[in-house]
Amino acid sequence: MRLVAQLATLVVMPLVLVGVVTRVKSLWSGRRGAPVLQPVFDVVRLFRKKPVVSHVSTPMFQAGPAVFLVTALVTALLAPSLGAPPLFSFGYDFVWLAYAWGLGRVALMLSALDTGSAFEGMGAAREAVFSSMLEPVLFLVVGGLSLAAGVHSLSEAVALPVHGGLGLLAWAGALVALVVVLTVETGRMPVDDPTTHLELTMVHEVMVLDHAGPELGMVQLGAALKLFTTASFLAALLNPFAAEAGLKGPLVNVGLLLGVAVAIGTVESLMARLKLRAVPRYIGLGLGSALVVALLGAWTHRGGA
Amino acid sequence: MTPLTWSIPVLLAGAAGALLFKVRVLRIASSLLSQAAATGLVLTTALPIALGGAPFSAQWPWPAPIGAIALHVDALGAFFLSWSLPLTLLGSVYAVGYLKPYFDKGRNPGPHFALLNLVSLSFVLIYSVQNALVFLLGWETAAVSAWLLVIWDYKNQKIRFAGFNYLVSTHVGLLVLVAAFTLLHSRTDSMSFDAFARFLAVQSPTRAVVFLLLGVSFALKSAFFPFHTWLPRAHSAAPAHVSALMSGVIHKAGLFGFLRFALMLGRPEEWMGWLTLGFGALSAFTGVMATTSQRDLKRLLGYSSTENVGIAAMGFGLGLLGWSWGLPQLSALGFAGGLFHVLNHALFKCLLFYAAGAIYKATHTVDLERMGGLAKKLPKTALLFLVGALAISALPPFNGFASELLVYSGLLSGKAPEPQGNGALVAAAAALAFVGAVSALSMTRAFGLAFLGTPRDASVHVSSGSPGPMTWPMVAHALGVMAVGFAPNVALKLVTSAAALFPVDDSAPTALSSVVPLNQALFAGLALVALVSVVRARSARKSVTWGCGYTAGTSRMQYTGSSFSEQFTRTFAPLMPSLRRERLPHGPFPKEPGHLATHFIDGVERRVFEALGRGEEFVSRAAGNVPEQPRIAFAAGVAMLVLVGALLAGGFP
Repeated sequence: MRLVAQLATLVVMPLVLVGVVTRVKSLWSGRRGAPVLQPVFDVVRLFRKKPVVSHVSTPMFQAGPAVFLVTALVTALLAPSLGAPPLFSFGYDFVWLAYAWGLGRVALMLSALDTGSAFEGMGAAREAVFSSMLEPVLFLVVGGLSLAAGVHSLSEAVALPVHGGLGLLAWAGALVALVVVLTVETGRMPVDDPTTHLELTMVHEVMVLDHAGPELGMVQLGAALKLFTTASFLAALLNPFAAEAGLKGPLVNVGLLLGVAVAIGTVESLMARLKLRAVPRYIGLGLGSALVVALLGAWTHRGGA
Repeated sequence: MTPLTWSIPVLLAGAAGALLFKVRVLRIASSLLSQAAATGLVLTTALPIALGGAPFSAQWPWPAPIGAIALHVDALGAFFLSWSLPLTLLGSVYAVGYLKPYFDKGRNPGPHFALLNLVSLSFVLIYSVQNALVFLLGWETAAVSAWLLVIWDYKNQKIRFAGFNYLVSTHVGLLVLVAAFTLLHSRTDSMSFDAFARFLAVQSPTRAVVFLLLGVSFALKSAFFPFHTWLPRAHSAAPAHVSALMSGVIHKAGLFGFLRFALMLGRPEEWMGWLTLGFGALSAFTGVMATTSQRDLKRLLGYSSTENVGIAAMGFGLGLLGWSWGLPQLSALGFAGGLFHVLNHALFKCLLFYAAGAIYKATHTVDLERMGGLAKKLPKTALLFLVGALAISALPPFNGFASELLVYSGLLSGKAPEPQGNGALVAAAAALAFVGAVSALSMTRAFGLAFLGTPRDASVHVSSGSPGPMTWPMVAHALGVMAVGFAPNVALKLVTSAAALFPVDDSAPTALSSVVPLNQALFAGLALVALVSVVRARSARKSVTWGCGYTAGTSRMQYTGSSFSEQFTRTFAPLMPSLRRERLPHGPFPKEPGHLATHFIDGVERRVFEALGRGEEFVSRAAGNVPEQPRIAFAAGVAMLVLVGALLAGGFP
């Protein structure tokens, strides 16, 4: 039953989350906006188109988005979509998750470089720099949480029960750090503006300037899956009932997932994107909070768990 | 004589054949066949031991001053033997294709192949002898052969300089090693490792001194930061297969030496573990930072060796810490992870150097800024390089990930007895994560610049792909990379017995078991994607690259290597010394053309020369300050002080 529900969430939620973000942004700007399922229609439409590729490109161009989608799909299995436990989880699975994301990212960057376009090279370079700075944040925060809880898998680590002042501090630090991870990994404000139309200012979007039809569909689907994965970690961290049996935990979790999407939409409506040169400082904020989590985790951990 | 000892005369005979035969084919065949025979002989002894068999021991009577050469191949030596010789053989096969143009012009292949035989021979000595003098003989054979192999193109002054740079560095390391052995000899009155081990197992101040001396010597051999300055020069100067063998195989002897003596030391003190871990992390960090800005593909790969030995040393440091804390789980993950990474690095680094050699052979340049679009001209090389690049970035499902996962599992286990310890280990894991991501950046940059896009320099003429003798060793390495990634738990068996010489439990296979199905699923996914993409790329409609409405784009307008790493180098500018020469155009209608040149230099090398210059200045200024009259008395006083200090430090006899 739980398995079916989780699979259903995995199928339905990613694109719905993107739809909710768009809808919220429309509402903030005073429009009614497209239906929440619009991203689904978009992806279906893209997949029915025929691909167009550049003369310059090699098969790498089309392999990139596909690899990105495969890695996003496999890592989505680790997402605690209905609170813990996820479909798939094992000790140090977050190392695998981070590196599988890395594979997808490299594939997409190579696909971008394959077009020989300076714009796409620029996007790939930015993506590479930001992600390399982000990686320590992810490892510090999850490492710290898993030390604090004495567990080794990501979904268990984010289901940390809050107790006492130190626990609250660690929880808050983890929240900040995970928000930074989410915004950088999925290319959301204030790091990247997914709706901008100026090539020079984009990160993720500029990498896929030349991708059309099914390739673009794969990128959008993969990005939605990544958003779903990171948002469900955030939701699991926020969910006070994650550990409880019954329907309450899962339902609250789904509600929180949608809440994360609403928050993303709200932030994107009310804030401007940071200057590219300020992004490292933003990631530094995440690094600082992650360090706090790691220190607290090491401090509260009783050795030899 | 046993199979292992037979391999020595076989290799020597092969070397002699390579020098003495008159026909070129026979010279090469003599070397290759003798290496193949020696590989077979060594593997019959080494493989069973590496997989858990009983160690092999033999005595070899020898005239003074050595007495008898004790051979002892335990699982550690067997592990190193079981891949060093086969990979050297592959490198020699590659050499046949790579150096063919030289041979066609009349160059004698004999000496080069004889030296390759000697490299194999040095492995047999280093990894099996139990006598410090014979160990030094093997060490020196490897160093001198490697030097002579590096300066293959000795007519080029730059290459001779790089060669001498290497020769000096490696002999500084040798001096330190000799110092350590002399110190041990003075305490044990013996040159046998058994006597060393008996002495080192007991706590004494000498133990720490020996540990530090050996650490420096082995760090120089394996090109750890800050002892790496010779490495980028040597790797960029040497023929591709020599760079590959040096980086992937020969310099692993330093790590072997470290582990051999770690075993002799017995249970280490905690600081030894922290020092090794910190030193490894520093090397990995500085090495990977340098890779981001290199223009020379082979220099880039050279710096990445510094990074990868650093990662292996992080594993060893973790292992030592686990040992000193009495935690077999940490030791298991640390030593198995480190050793596994040594093997993995040998597989993918040789592959990358061979691919770089194939690029050089086709384009006659290793400058990334002049390449571009090579994937269309050299599709096989592109695919093989891609496999190596993904593996070296530790991306799953390839082999580099498996070994790093073991190190991560140890670092993040939270097993340290003190909170500070746990905090430091998690910080080390975060550093490793940064190193991994930056390495992915560098490799994406290298692959993207060389193989993707359009050719950047019209003057670079691309000849046809590489010949069979070059391709097959690359294919063999790529298959190895993928096989280890596909079944990391099986490949780990090569390492398990060597790690089991240390006090370990069976955590290493357990830590890997969960990722095996995921890796295999990813392999299936990648294979499917590759097939489908090739088919779809044929049928896809073709158009131009989107230029934002600008239709007169040229290949010069592509993103360059410097622009790709510009943001990174700017963010980390304090850590990345660079020289910048610029004359920027002025005014709205500049009359004079401007220019800008940035050059990323090796910080350590630069500082060493700066310090030398300043030191000279300082000495002459200080000497000038001393008045003329008592100068002699002053000098005598200093000499006296030094003498007294030395006597005090050494203890009166």
